[in-house]
Amino acid sequence: MKSEAPATFTLHSRLFRAEAHSTFLILIAGPMATTQILSEIQDPRTGRGRWLLLAAGFVLLGCFFLPWLRFVITANDRIALSLTGLQAVTMPPVETTDGGLLYRSSPWMYLAPLAGIVALGLGLLTLRPGRSAPWHGLFAIILSVTAAVAVWSVVTAAQEIAQKQKVSVEVQWGLALTFMALLLFLISGLVALRDAGAQQPTFRAALDALDFMAPGTVLVIVFFVLPAIILFILSLTDLSSANFSEPWTFVGFDNYRRMFSDRFFPKILRNTFQYVILTLLFFNVGLALLLALLTAHVSRRVGFFFRLLWLLPRITPSVVYIVMWQRIAQQPPYGILNQLLGWLGVENQPYWIPEAPWVFVVLVNGFVGASFGMIIFTSAIEAIPADLIIAAKVDGAGDLALIRDITLPLLRWPLLFVVTYQTLSLLVSFEYILLLTNGGPGLFTTEVWALTAYKRALQTYFGSNQWAYGAAWGFVLVVIGVVLSVLYLRVFRFNDLVQEPKIDVL
Amino acid sequence: MRVELDNLTKRWGDVTGADGITLDMQNGEFVAFLGPSGCGKTTTLLMVAGIYKPTAGEIRFDERVVNQVAPKDRNIGMVFQSYALYPHMSVRQNIGYPLKLKKTPADEMEKRVQRVADMMGIGHLLARRPAQLSGGQQQRVALGRALVKEPSLLLFDEPLSNLDARLRLTMRSEIKRLQLDLGITSIYVTHDQVEAMTMADRIAVMKEGKLQAYAPPNELYEQPRTIFIAGFVGNPPMNLFDAQIVQEGKRYLARRQGFEMEVPHKQGSRAVGKGQVVVGIRPEDISLAQNTGITGEVFVVEPLGRDNLVDVRIEDLHLFVLADPRQPLQIGDPVQLQIDGGKVQLFDPETEYSLLWT
Ligand SMILES: Nc1ncnc2c1ncn2[C@@H]1O[C@H](COP(=O)(O)OP(=O)(O)O)[C@@H](O)[C@H]1O
Ligand SMILES: [Mg+2]
Repeated sequence: MKSEAPATFTLHSRLFRAEAHSTFLILIAGPMATTQILSEIQDPRTGRGRWLLLAAGFVLLGCFFLPWLRFVITANDRIALSLTGLQAVTMPPVETTDGGLLYRSSPWMYLAPLAGIVALGLGLLTLRPGRSAPWHGLFAIILSVTAAVAVWSVVTAAQEIAQKQKVSVEVQWGLALTFMALLLFLISGLVALRDAGAQQPTFRAALDALDFMAPGTVLVIVFFVLPAIILFILSLTDLSSANFSEPWTFVGFDNYRRMFSDRFFPKILRNTFQYVILTLLFFNVGLALLLALLTAHVSRRVGFFFRLLWLLPRITPSVVYIVMWQRIAQQPPYGILNQLLGWLGVENQPYWIPEAPWVFVVLVNGFVGASFGMIIFTSAIEAIPADLIIAAKVDGAGDLALIRDITLPLLRWPLLFVVTYQTLSLLVSFEYILLLTNGGPGLFTTEVWALTAYKRALQTYFGSNQWAYGAAWGFVLVVIGVVLSVLYLRVFRFNDLVQEPKIDVL
Repeated sequence: MRVELDNLTKRWGDVTGADGITLDMQNGEFVAFLGPSGCGKTTTLLMVAGIYKPTAGEIRFDERVVNQVAPKDRNIGMVFQSYALYPHMSVRQNIGYPLKLKKTPADEMEKRVQRVADMMGIGHLLARRPAQLSGGQQQRVALGRALVKEPSLLLFDEPLSNLDARLRLTMRSEIKRLQLDLGITSIYVTHDQVEAMTMADRIAVMKEGKLQAYAPPNELYEQPRTIFIAGFVGNPPMNLFDAQIVQEGKRYLARRQGFEMEVPHKQGSRAVGKGQVVVGIRPEDISLAQNTGITGEVFVVEPLGRDNLVDVRIEDLHLFVLADPRQPLQIGDPVQLQIDGGKVQLFDPETEYSLLWT
């Protein structure tokens, strides 16, 4: 095959937009960040070197990003992307032994990052703790990561195009150099961050705090943020058991559209709020508070016994627990409740659960949920200094006034915690409802959001797992949970609770 | 209000908090409960407040037995070491809380809170939270809260122990002054004998749940009835040591190895022939003399500012002596001691009671 003028390729428009976006970012951010970093990390005492390095950084980084510029300028929806767009000045393609065309990267492509490395290396060599601001370092880090992703994606695109056109592109070396430059970028960013930390006490404190939070943060990222992201991505696909043998595709927000237009969506929404609010109000907070107050006001041993008693539902396996409730509510002669009613002379009793499904849903969950708050509240009540209680009694408070004026206000933080925590856990809990009514009786009578998500995604009847659709339900639930948490923190004015006291002298 | 405690006892299982406390307080009297920590002062106070139910005995307010009366119906004001201010209430709400519980009308409440706050010098802090106040200010708020409902009995549980030394002095005289002005019967619990001595009309000295003595400060100081009181009351503490009282002709002598001093007839006659007794003598009743008296050697000199506290060694006996700081004393210097025999206290080592005062 003869060597020809650069071929014209069509790039997938969606893919292209993403790349153009990141490229644009680099175009603006690159020179800015580089000059900032270079000016910050070199010794301020050698004034001329500073300007020299600054200029060098600017020019060289400009060179480095020139190819990207070309790429963007020549791009439109049906672009004529010459390989020169990717590789600055293209070398004429070389015919390979198997008849393909080999496009080589231009020397410029190697030169630009190389020069960038030299500039950054010089900068690093002259490194002294200068006047760095935290955001310089952060900027460099963000930039390097974004750039790496952008480079990678464009190279992949180019390779894909080349493959379709049956030409091969050799970019490995350029790629490696590019990533090395970006790595240096990353390091210089981290260095700038550290320097900034050394100079600014407040930022230093923030960094220290980050250190302390690191283990927790890692856990949250691994077990919450990443799963949530995966869930979201999953919800944008058409993954289900119906088309499992075919390759899945992204379908945008189709699943969400389908969810919000579901005929039973309002019903499920109402059920969810009803379930959460009733259980929370009457049991997880109300009964829990009542139990904590009562058990704190009787003798220690009796209090301990009653608290233990209320823990039983929680430590009973859920299936056993539900079977017990069903036994309580059964028709005569099985049901305990009906047997008692029978002795009282009330005959012909129904199976109570379908009669009053909501009462049972709330009771069943509430009896389990109450113990959590009870334990938190009890420990909080016992942590109130004895002097405060004595002072209030001497001041003239009876038992009720004591609870109203002293105990409850001092329980604000545990109350916030229990309300927040229990709202979220109720929102996502469904196993007792699944076992008790399975959302029935009838259509969606007691079906809550989490149960729907579970059924759509994972419950198999006729092999109907709609993983992606279920993921959409699940993801919205996650969003609701996060929004609610933030709201709670606002309403309870969490920041006030952790405020430091202002002491002055007499 | 008159307060009487009659054989007041509190036990938790085999732990005894207070053991048969009997004493009475006159209307307007300022009584201090003095004793080392853990001796049952707080326990007794809390029984008076109605927080603890007595295991045995009676509490009477103006002849009325109040054992079964709830704290809120006793009309008591109380001040704590920890201040015990309600952290979620402003200063205004803290001071007004007893009035609010009495359903006092809002405008009258406002007036009384303001008056008390002004009296305590915290009138400008009413909008603050306790956490925004210094220790001294918090204690003033606590005092205001105790006073606002015009109680017939004030209870203080080591109210100054958390304050720094200077503030303690100021607050001490303020509380004393306030109590005199208002004439409210008060019980003041403290482990600091200086506080008790300077403030109280009468002091109840307690040890291990029992009442050791109940007397005015000067009587406690001059006529200690037990070894414990002798050692606990007075600063620097009394010198206590074993000796034998012997009669030689008309003279009585307290004698031990390397030590001999004359004791007046009045004291000596009560101890003679009892074998080993405990002799007590305060540092301020010993002086350094020239060429006469008991010979010893300077062991340590502690400058106290106005005086020097000198530890003088006589064989194996150490005596603390107050000396003029202008007198140059070096460790190891030989000194002569002159003891004011008339101030000597004598105790029975077995019963620990005084041989002089009963
Ligand atoms: N609630 C209680 N339960 C059991 N023992 C107690 C209790 N309160 C006090 N005591 C005991 O009673 C004794 C007296 O305590 P307290 O009155 O607090 O001493 P003080 O106030 O003189 O320091 C101590 O030995 C203490 O351990
Ligand atoms: Mg105490």
